[in-house]
Amino acid sequence: MPSPVPLIAFQHVTKRFPGVVALEDISFDIHAGELHAIVGENGAGKSTLMKILSGVITDYEGQWSLRGQAVRFQGTRDAEKAGISIIHQELNLVEELSAAANIFLGREKRTALGLLDDRAMERAAGKLLVELECHIHPWQLVQELRVGDQQLVEIAKALSLETEILIMDEPTSALTEAEAARLFRVIARLRARGVTILYISHKMGEVFRLADRISVLRDGRRVQTLPREATNARQITHLMVGREMEAVHLGNQRQSGAVVLEVRNLSLPWTGHARRWRLRDVNFQLRRGEILGIAGLMGAGRTEILECLFGANLEPLHGEILLEGHSVRFTHPVEAMRAGIVLVTEDRKRLGVFADMTVGDNITICDLAEAAVAGLVSRRSERRLADDMVLKMGVKTAGIHASITSLSGGNQQKAIIGRWLLTRPKVLLLDDPTRGIDVGAKAEVYRIMDRLCRDGMGIIVTSSELPELLILCDRILVLCEGRLTAEFARHEASEQRIMEAATLGQT
Amino acid sequence: MTSAPPSVPSRASAYASLRRALLRPEWGLVLAVAAVVVLTGLLDDRHNYWYNPGDSAINVLRQTSMLGIFSLGAAIVIISGGIDLSSGSVIAFSGSICATLMVLMAPEEMKAARLLGLGTISTAIVGTLVVGLLIGSLHAWLITVVGLPPFVATLATLVGLRSLGRAIVENVTAATWGGRSTQIQIYDSRFRYLATSVWIPAVLFVVLAGLAWLLLSRTVIGRHLHALGGNEQAARLSGIQTDRLKWLAYCISAVLSSIAGILYIGDQSAAHPQTLGQGYELNAIAAAVVGGCSLRGGVGTIPGTVLGVLFLRTVIDGVAKVIKTGADVYEGLIVGSVVVVAVAFTQFRQAGGRGKRFLSGPLGIATAINLSLLAGVLAALLAPKTFLGEGMLALITGGVTLLVLIVLRWIEGRRTGNARTAPLPSDKLRSA
Repeated sequence: MPSPVPLIAFQHVTKRFPGVVALEDISFDIHAGELHAIVGENGAGKSTLMKILSGVITDYEGQWSLRGQAVRFQGTRDAEKAGISIIHQELNLVEELSAAANIFLGREKRTALGLLDDRAMERAAGKLLVELECHIHPWQLVQELRVGDQQLVEIAKALSLETEILIMDEPTSALTEAEAARLFRVIARLRARGVTILYISHKMGEVFRLADRISVLRDGRRVQTLPREATNARQITHLMVGREMEAVHLGNQRQSGAVVLEVRNLSLPWTGHARRWRLRDVNFQLRRGEILGIAGLMGAGRTEILECLFGANLEPLHGEILLEGHSVRFTHPVEAMRAGIVLVTEDRKRLGVFADMTVGDNITICDLAEAAVAGLVSRRSERRLADDMVLKMGVKTAGIHASITSLSGGNQQKAIIGRWLLTRPKVLLLDDPTRGIDVGAKAEVYRIMDRLCRDGMGIIVTSSELPELLILCDRILVLCEGRLTAEFARHEASEQRIMEAATLGQT
Repeated sequence: MTSAPPSVPSRASAYASLRRALLRPEWGLVLAVAAVVVLTGLLDDRHNYWYNPGDSAINVLRQTSMLGIFSLGAAIVIISGGIDLSSGSVIAFSGSICATLMVLMAPEEMKAARLLGLGTISTAIVGTLVVGLLIGSLHAWLITVVGLPPFVATLATLVGLRSLGRAIVENVTAATWGGRSTQIQIYDSRFRYLATSVWIPAVLFVVLAGLAWLLLSRTVIGRHLHALGGNEQAARLSGIQTDRLKWLAYCISAVLSSIAGILYIGDQSAAHPQTLGQGYELNAIAAAVVGGCSLRGGVGTIPGTVLGVLFLRTVIDGVAKVIKTGADVYEGLIVGSVVVVAVAFTQFRQAGGRGKRFLSGPLGIATAINLSLLAGVLAALLAPKTFLGEGMLALITGGVTLLVLIVLRWIEGRRTGNARTAPLPSDKLRSA
């Protein structure tokens, strides 16, 4: 119910970063007690706006008011005092501390002697966790918890702060169905307590299930705010991208050729873990000119399969890998690379990009020997290699001498794919290649994959987004806890069937 | 957040590469060296730099070359994401090995201070360089196979090699000459000429720096070393053989330290493992850091390192010229201060230090007291004999400093409004 004074009112909020306007003249209201979804592509300004609300960003133009009063936070502490908490996509917990210690971090309860009162904290934490249907012990270390439980610890922390406004940034991105369902119940309970929730997501299903109103941001501007009843997913998507999402038909009439890669009884041990095997008895084949998808929840072993194929597995594997009919066993990625198998890693920032280097250096790093004569790198041929690849991949950059970190996520990803294409691989492994990149760049990555595939490359791709696999893949394998539980040809696959196979035996 | 400027890829023009060359951070160090030289010329009451530039230049050149040779190694290891704490001990150890080899091959000549054969000298030198390679390999094994952090591995050899060198020298002298000695005297003028000639260390330094520059900036290996330092995991997953690169980096560092060790025993005409190269590893690391190498790895250049060494040595020489007596006593203090100022300066230039409050809060009070005490003590130590006693002078200087700092603190406090607009870390990354 809209109250006369909005809980939060943005008035002409603008935030500029050097060279970029992240937010431009944002004005809209958030009512007390509502669940307000904020949607937009990556780079639309959602996170920036939330950082202003939570006191992370303190210098911006314009103003906003809380309960009718203009406020300007000097830091996150001010926001906490005002009752605003944020649950980041990447959780903000100290893994080496217990759940209770995390919940009371910085506000520890103390005994009369000034010592830590762990008992009191654990009691209070336990009460909060039970309330959240989180069946863990407060003294358990956070690193032992599943992602879904870790997230609830964060929510418990927010509750212990007597939060009135809770910001949730893509909270379901790492959750299983069951965990997501529990989260939705928790959200309902929070709302019953009168907590106002700002919910950032790009999953239309969730947004339409939870939200009262939906605000769409695009390129730093607020496009529109709509009540849920007055709109539909199609319209919101349209507002987000500024154009209708064309139904992509990429996979049509692709011809797959001979088997290029075969995996027989692949198992990967997991020392010191209850499951014992990261992967168990995995068998599959990949053909030339085929895109093979691997679906599965977090921790199902998607990344591990690709690491095994690339020689980047940390423990010795069991079973056999055949490349063009010959058994291969790689002990280092360089051997896989020379044999013609390359991997574009999942975590671009941590495992892919060399942040101190230029775009050009990032592209040529794997194939530098090509541009070298007697060990000395020829600047000219290196530049040619990099320039060609920038053009071929459509990397939007000020030039190959620009810093890689000045590029958007999508363009960084295109540069990294280009890096590997320079080595002319037979098999391209892509681990969640479109994670954290915007819709436009996603479509470009899809087209690149389609083109490579038509040129006869064998591609294996994993993704945390099922629709993506359904668009791209000729076949989809489904993993559940390290085992292959299903294989679908393109025409057999559906989100429903894949989800069922991915959660076999899970409640 | 997307922040890519929407522009088409363009071929680098000559203008752009000139612009990049002019924007290189090394120019700041060139200016700093020039400023130090000019200041020294002005402040030194004998004006040595004007009237007698040759001697000063030769002295600075000698010191710069000796320190520079093994600082190159420190820089390469730091750029590759590691750290080599052992160079001072490697200098002492390889110097001792070189002298020991000469004693073993020519015991009579060494004892009687006669000339050694050229074969003896060159064999001793080659043997020492091989020992350097072995030390580097030991570091690489400890780090890549055993899995020790580089800090720990090289800390172990820092402590261990010096004492091993001493034990070898004592035992070899006892066994060959019958008298146990903690050092070996070196009389051979041809061997000593290696160091005393000045031009040999200088040319060696220039050649080695040139090779190191070529390696780091022009070869595949150099690019891979940068990649390894910048992001080791990504480097491994890019098919870079990180373990071999580390082996190379630590070997380069150890061999360069061995070369320095040979030069130092020539310079000092003795191999005294207990004192030789004591603490030099930190000077080398300091030079690399002043020259722009980041201890996080991945960032740094050889020209920067060379300038870092030059800057360090000119400052030390300058202070020695200005305060005349006991300048070597202050060497450590100078190196420490230069590192703090140079690195802080670089960081503020990158991140914008304006609006930052240096003296706020209780730590600010402690800092004001700290700096005032330092100023007072320095005044008492360095003061020319005047009508005031040292104690009085220290008191006055310290008091004035404290007063100035309190005023600064007050001014900073009034700037609260500005502090808010200081860019956040995330913004800085964007602008970088």
